[in-house]
Amino acid sequence: MERRTLIRQTYKQFDKLILLVLIGLVGLFIVYPIVSIVAFSFRSGGEFSLTHYQSIFSPANRKLIWHSLWTASSAAFFSTVVAVMISLSAVLSGPRWQKGLEKAVMISMISPPFVSSLAFIILFGRRGLITYGLLGLSLNPYGPQSIVLLQALGGIAFASLLLFANLEQIDLFQVLASRDLGAKGQHTLKDIIFPALRPGILSAFFVLFTMNIADFSTPIIVGGSFKTLATEAYLIAVSTPNLGQAAAISVLMVPSALIAFYFYRRNMRLGQTIGAKRSIKDIDLGLRLPGWLRLIIFLPAISYFIITLLKYGVILVSAFANTSSGRIKWTLDYARTLPPNNLAAIGRSVGYSLIAALAATIIGLLISWYTHRRRLPLMEGVEFLTSLPYIIPGTFFGLGYVAAFSSQPLMLRGTAIILITNYCFRQLSVPIKAANTTFSMLDRSIDRAAKDLGASELQTFWTVLLSPLRTAFINSFITVFTSSMMAVGAIAFIVSPGRTVASMELFRSVGQGRYGLASFQAVLLIVIIFVFNLILLLFKDRKGGRDVSRTKRSK
Amino acid sequence: MKKILSLLLVLVLAIGLLAGCTPAQDEPTPADEPADTPEATDDPAVDPSLAGTTVKVLLAYGGAENSFEQFTADTGINVEYIEISTGQALAQIQAADGVSAADVWFGGGVDSYISAAELGYLEAYVSPEAATIRDEYKDKDGYWTGLALVPAGFLVNNDVLAEKGLEAPQTWEDLADPAYHDEIIMASPAISGTQYAILNGLLQAMGEEAGWELWEKIDANVTTYAQGGGEPMPKTIAGEYAIGVLATVGSAYQAMEEAPVEVINPTDYIPWTPAPIGLFADAENPEGAKVMIDYFLSQQGQEKLMAADARIMTRPEVAIPDVMETLDASKLIVQDVKLFGSQREAVLARWAELIGDK
Repeated sequence: MERRTLIRQTYKQFDKLILLVLIGLVGLFIVYPIVSIVAFSFRSGGEFSLTHYQSIFSPANRKLIWHSLWTASSAAFFSTVVAVMISLSAVLSGPRWQKGLEKAVMISMISPPFVSSLAFIILFGRRGLITYGLLGLSLNPYGPQSIVLLQALGGIAFASLLLFANLEQIDLFQVLASRDLGAKGQHTLKDIIFPALRPGILSAFFVLFTMNIADFSTPIIVGGSFKTLATEAYLIAVSTPNLGQAAAISVLMVPSALIAFYFYRRNMRLGQTIGAKRSIKDIDLGLRLPGWLRLIIFLPAISYFIITLLKYGVILVSAFANTSSGRIKWTLDYARTLPPNNLAAIGRSVGYSLIAALAATIIGLLISWYTHRRRLPLMEGVEFLTSLPYIIPGTFFGLGYVAAFSSQPLMLRGTAIILITNYCFRQLSVPIKAANTTFSMLDRSIDRAAKDLGASELQTFWTVLLSPLRTAFINSFITVFTSSMMAVGAIAFIVSPGRTVASMELFRSVGQGRYGLASFQAVLLIVIIFVFNLILLLFKDRKGGRDVSRTKRSK
Repeated sequence: MKKILSLLLVLVLAIGLLAGCTPAQDEPTPADEPADTPEATDDPAVDPSLAGTTVKVLLAYGGAENSFEQFTADTGINVEYIEISTGQALAQIQAADGVSAADVWFGGGVDSYISAAELGYLEAYVSPEAATIRDEYKDKDGYWTGLALVPAGFLVNNDVLAEKGLEAPQTWEDLADPAYHDEIIMASPAISGTQYAILNGLLQAMGEEAGWELWEKIDANVTTYAQGGGEPMPKTIAGEYAIGVLATVGSAYQAMEEAPVEVINPTDYIPWTPAPIGLFADAENPEGAKVMIDYFLSQQGQEKLMAADARIMTRPEVAIPDVMETLDASKLIVQDVKLFGSQREAVLARWAELIGDK
């Protein structure tokens, strides 16, 4: 008897310990960097001052704000429109196609954002294969129109995935009823399906807007002399010692992020409360639409996939060919002249991303468990904090790490830890969301049953809940791994010699105009991400434990 | 009491977690693992206990990375590097309050080294190998020592010039010709040490007034400034621009074999900067760093470095590379390199004003 209570006590202590560690980690790697960078922006010469903010609103900078606003919002708008078309195509084309479409969208996400810029310059640049090689034109590709185009292209996959989630929430019977009552296909679309997408649309638009505002890689590569807030913050941060100024500019980007955040969370909530009904994804709805409408819906969707294929194709060709003369000359030069530190950088990318993915997934599942399963007080607040880094600009989060971890006692600059934790905590909300969804579908009486049988909280988690979380675990692991492999935004400020990663080396090559080398690096990176995704998916498909996550709660 | 205990436990665990992560940073990734046992070196000066250690390098010397393997083979010391323009490196070190997270600063513009030395980021180290190097090419206190002279000039793409019906520019004055509008690519001098040397060198050679006047006219022809000295060459080779303003070093001459480009040494002035090497004050492996500095200042090392990227090496014993035979050394600007550092802030401020929001 004595021993049993002792064990119980130990479990309880251990339980508390884990909770404290989780809160400590969130405080150290999320709250502290954010506080540091904000504090930095209000400091000049060691004293509190508003100088950085005053200089931001100079006429020259007001122009930058305007540039950022219009390019980011038009790109977000175009992405969202195409994403709506893609998700409607999914509705119209029946369950089988829908699955394929979803997979295609997922695959189209596997490439660092500026790879599109690279393909774009190779095809449409001053010496582009199409503009110069085929048409004999020498157009200047650098300018705002290219920024909008490429950011728009880059956002489509993300927006589509958000909207796919919304589709699942549409009540199938409502759609069937409308059809049986004789509604025309376009009316069903307009009155039932479209409204259901609306929260997703708002959320997608604002999240993309925030990502675009914070994106410096696209404007740096294709913007030419057209500057935005993000490029200015980046250039100030990397080429002047004036970190405070860069901090202030990146603080300016936060309000839009907060708006995005509001809509995003609201949409996610909706996603968590509904979901028990049969979804329209299960059967072919057989909606009849007039031809012109089908064209409007399918054309952008199909074009998107053609463009994506073209993009991968171009990168592949230019990795093994010299295209600078406007013609294709095959060569293995880029493979041969790969800078000596590149292989190490790739190894590091893979290693760091795997560790970050594992850490994020474990930390995320635990936080979700304490928040939604145990419903401990204050954990809602902690969970809220974890979703911040996902949405706030990468520049901001990266500079936060510089500000927070550049001096003793928390001197992490130049270490692997700063990169790994940055990867990990940036994406922490991914596993948390995935686990939340799984938990919401698992009946709470399982936990109670386990506890009645004498299990402690931790034992319950370990023996009963872990197995249904398997799918959420692997999905999140893949997502965090993939995004970390491609990350540049936050990382650009914290790499150091011996700590550079593949995505940064690729970004540098694109920026310098070494397009062949960059293509080769991109192909390497994409292939590696693909292979790891496949391996991880194998784990997912292997039958191990009962997958309870699919068993939906009965009414 | 219990609470305090559990709090302590958390701390211990957290520290353990952090410590648990640390080994990852020392572990060499498979790709840069040293050969099983570093070979005994011919050079008796190298302390064998340094073999297997790593020197971290901030690199702004295109092509030098190809000589690092040889350095590792000769000394047993591994090299980890990151390519970064010197202006950029200086800014980041300043932002991080003097933390460079590196041991050796290798190549780039001397202006940043001078500023860094003033700010206390560099450690003075007079290499015994530097004795024969001329005083103009090194700092008297040993904060930096020139590895090579980097001459600057133009790389032109003949295809693009022919298409547009343009002649190749021969002088800096030529660059101001409106016919070249939007055909010139050059780096921002705030970031690129080479470009800063060109800017400051011409100001010294032509005199402030005439110099700024010329830069104003050249600026009218440039639509965008590159964010690093590494950018103009590939973009000129790719035919994106007809004229690249850059360091006319070995890689530029090499490009002539692969693309329709040509190196032009300006006939009026040839700006130049010493490409220095220096030791960071916060170096974790200062002994290894000194071995590296000695190595690349020695005759053997300079020859290796020249083979990796042809430049005019600072050691008089090392001959001028063949490809640079056409370079007329009498056109090299007679300049005071020290002014590069002391004028840096003022010159760059005036430059920022001149280019506006480009």
